[in-house]
Amino acid sequence: MNSIKQDWFSNVRNDLLAGLVVALALIPEAIAFSIIAGVDPKVGLYASFCIAVVIAFVGGRPGMISAATGAMALLMVTLVKEHGLEYLLAATVLTGVLQIIAGWVRLGALMRFVSRSVVTGFVNALAILIFVAQLPELTHVTWHVYAMTAAGLAIIYGFPGITRAIPSPLVTIVVLTAVAIFFDLDIRTVGDMGALPDSLPVFLVPDIPLNFETLAIIFPYSLTLMVVGLLESLMTATIVDDLTDTRSDKNRECVGQGVANIASGFIGGMAGCAMIGQSVINVKSGGRGRLSTLSAGIFLLLMVVFLGEWVSQIPMAALVAVMIMVAIGTFNWGSIRNLREHPKSSSVVMVATVVVTVATHDLAMGVLTGVLLSGFFFAHKVGQILRVRSLAEDEGRTRTYRVLGQVFFASADRFTNAFDYKEVIEKVRIDVSRAHFWDITAVSALDKVVLKFRREGTEVEVIGLNEASATMLDKFAVHDKDGTEDMLLGH
Amino acid sequence: MKNENKVLACVDQSRFADYVADYAAWAARRMDAPLELLHVINRHPETATSRDHSGAIGIDAQEHLLTELSNEDESRSKAAREEGRMFLNRLRERAVAAGVQSPDVRQRYGNLEATLTEQEDDVRLFVLGRRGQSAENTQRDLGRNVERVVRSLHKPILAITEGFTEPRRVMIAFDGSIVTRRGVKMVAGSPLFKGLPVHLLMSGKKSQDASRQLEWARKTLESAGFDAPAALVPGDAESVIAETVKHQGIDILIMGAYSHSALRGLLVGSKTSDLLRSAKIPTLLLR
Repeated sequence: MNSIKQDWFSNVRNDLLAGLVVALALIPEAIAFSIIAGVDPKVGLYASFCIAVVIAFVGGRPGMISAATGAMALLMVTLVKEHGLEYLLAATVLTGVLQIIAGWVRLGALMRFVSRSVVTGFVNALAILIFVAQLPELTHVTWHVYAMTAAGLAIIYGFPGITRAIPSPLVTIVVLTAVAIFFDLDIRTVGDMGALPDSLPVFLVPDIPLNFETLAIIFPYSLTLMVVGLLESLMTATIVDDLTDTRSDKNRECVGQGVANIASGFIGGMAGCAMIGQSVINVKSGGRGRLSTLSAGIFLLLMVVFLGEWVSQIPMAALVAVMIMVAIGTFNWGSIRNLREHPKSSSVVMVATVVVTVATHDLAMGVLTGVLLSGFFFAHKVGQILRVRSLAEDEGRTRTYRVLGQVFFASADRFTNAFDYKEVIEKVRIDVSRAHFWDITAVSALDKVVLKFRREGTEVEVIGLNEASATMLDKFAVHDKDGTEDMLLGH
Repeated sequence: MKNENKVLACVDQSRFADYVADYAAWAARRMDAPLELLHVINRHPETATSRDHSGAIGIDAQEHLLTELSNEDESRSKAAREEGRMFLNRLRERAVAAGVQSPDVRQRYGNLEATLTEQEDDVRLFVLGRRGQSAENTQRDLGRNVERVVRSLHKPILAITEGFTEPRRVMIAFDGSIVTRRGVKMVAGSPLFKGLPVHLLMSGKKSQDASRQLEWARKTLESAGFDAPAALVPGDAESVIAETVKHQGIDILIMGAYSHSALRGLLVGSKTSDLLRSAKIPTLLLR
């Protein structure tokens, strides 16, 4: 009871105002992302309305804005081109189902493998993709479009200097639309891009054959959509957590994203997720509660449906200006300054994430690359932490090797090479009390060392295995079991 | 310092805090228990104070916003902390003047209910004002936190009103329930009311069971050395209690609190809340 009140009604005035500001910025974004995906603007607008409204109730992070996004739109391009809108709607529903499953099995916990550098790379790649997606509107056009876009940007960044009470993207859109109508400029408008919503959304089932072939077509798309949607949502949730100094329920957010996408698919909307730029705008405008998300969705639909005639007259140049603002605001500019100061490995991870994403237009690929690279660098670093020292004892008849550090796949060779097998000696003692054997590679490396010594006729004693290492050895090692030599050396 | 059995006085910046400190000091002295004055600072992270509706995000928008918001929080916390320290020190001196050796003062972030629940294990008696800071500008006769806090705690709570008079005469509103029976035993065994007359009042229909219960309570108290006049008065509990308090000059009323669910309270009203509203004297609530 208490938390419902707190989530919804503790910040009503600010939430409603912030919702309005966000809705005004959501409209150009939803239209722009529909165009990226190759569908009518109404698909993105319905999706944004539906996702924002549904997530307000079922999401795990109050105050975070979810809607149709560029990251998701980029993944749908080929699906729409080759199979059409109906398959996109089906893929959207399937994405939702997969996200709910991911939430149930608590896949959100996997986010801890996504390092800070990967997150920065993700954000930067996203900003670059949003910017690049605007370029078609800026090529092969008359000088009017450039002038309009430049004027738009000037208003967006200059107007807050006059007053911060009115959203400057709104002023930009109104002014540029008025100019375009007044001078009767022959430039592209939103109306040229496809159908706008003319009514409230209605429930409809995607018109596709329900068979295995359909599933084979949409499943790969849904899978990537699920991954990217959850990645961006969870990253955004963390950002909002930090900004507001509060906590969120990540698994509830995963399930919530799923429910929102299923709902979107059934009213003719595309898949979406949380939006970093919009969430920052929301928090900045004072939005904290679920009411801000809900009101953003509702204001958006009301404005589009009842002002549709005017919306269709908005010149694309105005939208481009707003989207460039979003790209600039999303990009992490500090990361460029940090390239030189941060460790090389993290810079490489960041840049690799950006490069792979921009090349493939697939944020999932970029993040996968980043995560693998950071794992690789980490293994390499930890593999360095291995020292083997030796000491002759008993008048040169015995030698004790002291192993200190982590033995696993990345350090197994270093471990094996640290012993002197050619020394003529009676007994070797390997003290591993300050080492840890992590995996099968490490265990077989120890086996190899022991057996090599035995072949030289040297007696080997391993002492000080700690408990975790010991279980690993009990299960997989062969050197302490009978008949070992025949088994290993027979082939 | 586990289980130190302290008297915890919950204070805020209202004038009622003075009386909370007075009663807490009185109780701590009588029970020879340590006294802590606690101020809970609620930061309300769920609300915002933005004036910026420009909706424009520029270079490093996220970093700037984060710095801005954390600076705001920082200065707000500092201000609240300093203010809190000032009035806590004043209350501390008041408690020292009332004869408490070395009262502890503390400020904690969080909401009142959760903070008190966390502290509960170390506490013997909570003292809080029936009305607090918001009483200055609302007409509510029972502070908005009181019922919620009382329901969430399981230790005795002394809910005080305006003014302080050294208690000379106390009364148990006895109804024979487990809670009040335990309360009788608690009063009998506690040094808090030692030497004061403890009246026993039962309201409602006369029955054999009721008089037997009342007799048991009287005997329990008397054998612990209390002067315990008992009365079984027919009538509506609320008015009977109010009458008796007035006529007998009772200084503290002891009663069980919120033994029914919050849902029932919502539907039929809560007897405890009614009594808290109508009784103008400090009330010791037993859970």
